[in-house]
Amino acid sequence: MIRRFVCIVVIALIWLIVLAWPAGLAWESPLVPKQQMTLDARDFRVVRGAGVEDGASLRIGSVGDDGSALQAMPLRRVHADDFSVLRYRFDGFPRTLELSFFFRRADSPADVEPAVTVPWPGDGWQTLDLRKVPGWRGDIIELGFAEYATPQIAPPNVAFKPFRFDRAELSSPSWRGSFAALYTSWFGYTPWALVSISALGPQREVAQAPPLLPFAMLGVVLSLAAAAVVLRWSRKSIAGRAIVAFAALWIVLDLVWLGDLYSKHVFTENVYAGRPWSEREQLVPDPDIAQAAAQVRNYFATQPSLHQNLSRRILVGAESKYVFLKLIYELLPLNAAPIQQLTVSRLPLNDTFVLLFGDTQWHYDEAHGTLLDEHALPPGVSADSIYQDRFEHADRFEPVWESGDVHLYALREARQR
Amino acid sequence: MSFALAFAWLIPCAAGVAVYAAFDARRESGYWATAFGYGLVLGLLFAAAASDLLARADTAHAMAHAWLPLTAFALIVGTVAWRRSRARAAASTTAPSQKMEKWKIALFCAALASLAWRAIFALREILLRPTFPWDAWDAWAVKSKAWFLLGHYAPFVPMGQWIAGTSGESYSGPAWSYPAALAWLQVWFASAVGGWIEPLINLPWLALWIGMLFGHYGQWRALGLTRMRAMAFVYFLGSLPLVTVHVALAGYADLWIATIFGFAVLAWARWLEQRDRNQLALACLCVLSLPWIKLEGAVWMLIFVGVAGYGSLPRQWRRYAMGVIVAIVAIGALIGHLKVPLFGLGWVNISLHAIEIPVIGTLAIAFHPRAVAGAVASLFTQPNWHLLWYLAPLIVIWRWRQFHELRAARALGALLAASLAFLGFLFLFTDAARWAESYSAINRLVMHVVPALFTMLALLLRDVDFRPALLGIAPKSDARSHPA
Repeated sequence: MIRRFVCIVVIALIWLIVLAWPAGLAWESPLVPKQQMTLDARDFRVVRGAGVEDGASLRIGSVGDDGSALQAMPLRRVHADDFSVLRYRFDGFPRTLELSFFFRRADSPADVEPAVTVPWPGDGWQTLDLRKVPGWRGDIIELGFAEYATPQIAPPNVAFKPFRFDRAELSSPSWRGSFAALYTSWFGYTPWALVSISALGPQREVAQAPPLLPFAMLGVVLSLAAAAVVLRWSRKSIAGRAIVAFAALWIVLDLVWLGDLYSKHVFTENVYAGRPWSEREQLVPDPDIAQAAAQVRNYFATQPSLHQNLSRRILVGAESKYVFLKLIYELLPLNAAPIQQLTVSRLPLNDTFVLLFGDTQWHYDEAHGTLLDEHALPPGVSADSIYQDRFEHADRFEPVWESGDVHLYALREARQR
Repeated sequence: MSFALAFAWLIPCAAGVAVYAAFDARRESGYWATAFGYGLVLGLLFAAAASDLLARADTAHAMAHAWLPLTAFALIVGTVAWRRSRARAAASTTAPSQKMEKWKIALFCAALASLAWRAIFALREILLRPTFPWDAWDAWAVKSKAWFLLGHYAPFVPMGQWIAGTSGESYSGPAWSYPAALAWLQVWFASAVGGWIEPLINLPWLALWIGMLFGHYGQWRALGLTRMRAMAFVYFLGSLPLVTVHVALAGYADLWIATIFGFAVLAWARWLEQRDRNQLALACLCVLSLPWIKLEGAVWMLIFVGVAGYGSLPRQWRRYAMGVIVAIVAIGALIGHLKVPLFGLGWVNISLHAIEIPVIGTLAIAFHPRAVAGAVASLFTQPNWHLLWYLAPLIVIWRWRQFHELRAARALGALLAASLAFLGFLFLFTDAARWAESYSAINRLVMHVVPALFTMLALLLRDVDFRPALLGIAPKSDARSHPA
């Protein structure tokens, strides 16, 4: 009986130490914070979007023109070292929005420290360990929150729903704060991202605690070792018991994962459920690409082909690989390929088009009637020689259609200069 | 669900089950689970093959062109299977099932419920959202969407060829060289749906996951695992987070490779343990289909054929084979490079400084220390694999005697060692290291061998008596032994 009691105490101590490590617990810190600064939401200034006071809270009813909302509060020189824990509480915060935190320091009052993504504020309080936020030092003279459509996944046109910002708190280091931040980091909601298909670890949030898995494994291994020593397990029985313990840990980790999967799925239900496919297929995180593709498809649908037996081909240029590849997919069944892959020195076919979307390294040079890849110009080389090297003839491009960020150029028979 | 869509599911499934039944007439334990799992997955590939062969000229009506031949194929093979099963009926080896204790039934049901729970999430994810992950539309659906919306097949060619072409009929893109099996499968379902409706076109990914779990359960049963133990392994396999992600965010080819490579390994293990030639043929069928699904499939096929072939040689011949391999490597080292034809990859030029693969490009060879951190994080700290990569080596060490004694475990160990060595070389010693540092590919390629790893662990743990650990009594020796 005594051995079992000792075993329980030892295992409890092991888990305290194992969890204190990723929590970054300062052992000398008090159990609860000595200093605490309450920041009522109603005292925050609405910088972007619109909000009204709701008791001590702030009800955010709309976003600004750029699709984001922002609230800020001036502070009277708060020493960053004295307040290393931030707690915040929102109510009804939509899963389609991401929350970021920003602040301004007294030593550079004109600069806003880059906003950092913080854990999604679900139900109840969320806690952030500010020691892990880059730039959190010196005297803080302003802090605030910004909300915007979750990148990569949330359709911006349906992302915003009204929510209530209740309160934030800054507090000094404590056991409670350290473990609460660890809990938020390990069990908070993380939305799907493009990288999710390849790895579940990397998240956008700053101030991530060390991952759960190795510490849980360490805790179980040390607990097994302690139990084997204290309870005098025979060598033969250790392996079987270890397998059972690891299986139990696997199930615990799986429950955590199922919780995360459920949270991720709620996002999908919120955005897409109850809508017909014709509507859902428009609800993409990058509607500008889909709209541009639809415009181009419509343009070609109304244009007769110059050569009846020849399919049109389109070279697509855009600011990033993601954008031009997505554009090519959305353009289907039009025959498009990325201009970035163009490695041959000539563009021989007539009825070939170049589609430029948004910011791109390609620009139309009206004087020469060609497209110029600015990045491909080595220092000291004239644009002409590049054209001559890159394309068989200049004066072959002519703009045929444009709409907003979409610019379409056609290759025609070379004109005489 | 429309009649055409129901038909689009039913015919391939029937053809696949018929093919499995024709291969395996022995009615071992887990037979129906295996037949359903293998049948579902192979059947989907048959649908893709039928679309490829019969509907190139009219992709918008691929099912209309392919359903009759596929149905005829299913009926013929089903007849063969029925005749074989009748002939075998008298010699059936199915042992009467023992009743499970109540607590085991409860655990069995809990595992099933857990798997069903995530299947519901995955199904809803697939049915609700447009295709989400990057390569799903860029690398895989781009071909099927082009072919379906065009109404006919069009070749995807390298950029230079696309530009130089005069007809304008060919397409191009970064993924022009990727195999087309999944594209044809999507064409099959798009034609059944009658439009490019991504959720319905992506549904086969959920069927793949279900087929994978059924197939593994049945084969593990046939390999001697109890129902409870086979279900436990199915739960551990099905609960892997990254596997679930590949179902919920459907569209990638990696789970297909993992499943079919896993199926090949299972059938091979049964051949090794039971000398069932039908299973060897099934393993060959699975392995040969790998290059048709993804480029890496050709590598897994070559490794599989190499390891299985080497292992099947008489001892004396193995020495000769090893001598030939050493001689080839020595010659390559002397002249500075080797040019070898690799099925599915073309003439691969291997030198001390680079590997040139025609359809992929050139990979410079150099050690990338930063990729080590990426690999360690991927396997041991990120929540992709739960405890798999901690426990797998521990189990091998713990069960080293059984590993040494069991021929199938040894063979699978060699295959996995070769596969992991390839992955280690690829991600630590070539330019592919950047995909380990960015976590963009390493886990997906690791996933290809994960079901096979589970099979090896299942063989090692099938005889362990866990009751002493649970009840606190001294363990007995292994409950049963299997031929070495």
